[in-house]
Amino acid sequence: MEIAEQIESTVREVGARVRPQLNDAKRRLTSLNGDVTSYIKENPGRCLIGAIAVGFLIGKIARRA
Amino acid sequence: MRRMAVMETSEQNPANGHRTDGSWVNDSAHKAWDRTRGAVSELKRAAAIEQRVNRNPYGSLAAALGIGYVLGGGIFTPLTSRIVALGLRLGIRLAVLPMLKDEISVLADALAGEGESKGRRGGKAAKPSGER
Repeated sequence: MEIAEQIESTVREVGARVRPQLNDAKRRLTSLNGDVTSYIKENPGRCLIGAIAVGFLIGKIARRA
Repeated sequence: MRRMAVMETSEQNPANGHRTDGSWVNDSAHKAWDRTRGAVSELKRAAAIEQRVNRNPYGSLAAALGIGYVLGGGIFTPLTSRIVALGLRLGIRLAVLPMLKDEISVLADALAGEGESKGRRGGKAAKPSGER
């Protein structure tokens, strides 16, 4: 029983320590996603042409390999 | 009438109806540029690219990447076969396994029900033999 309580308390402690970092990472990823999405929506032509170019290069590399 | 018009033009442009100063190159380049721009805007309108991108930005980027990959000649390559194999494996796992799970659970339930009924029958049958 004591071991179980110890494990539980350790897990709680680790969770309390890691939770703010996880929340921060989540917030950062959400803002990055928003930035990327808005950039794509503002410059659709540039992004699509860039994606086609990147795909073309990957295709060329895959063909050579 | 047509002859006169031809004559007028040849009078205005001495070298057989063509201007010699090279401005016609500029004009034709402008015309070609205008036509290209018109075609691109028409294509944009027809495909509703901006709407698609607004609706699903990552999906349209992935589609453009795929188009580029195909144009780059990467379709019949080992990388494609690997990607396709991985996709198939994932798809089978995601689609077939839940169905199999359901079937197995139904089968297990049926077997358990059968076993219980057999056990009851066996118990009834076993009692007299145990009494012996």
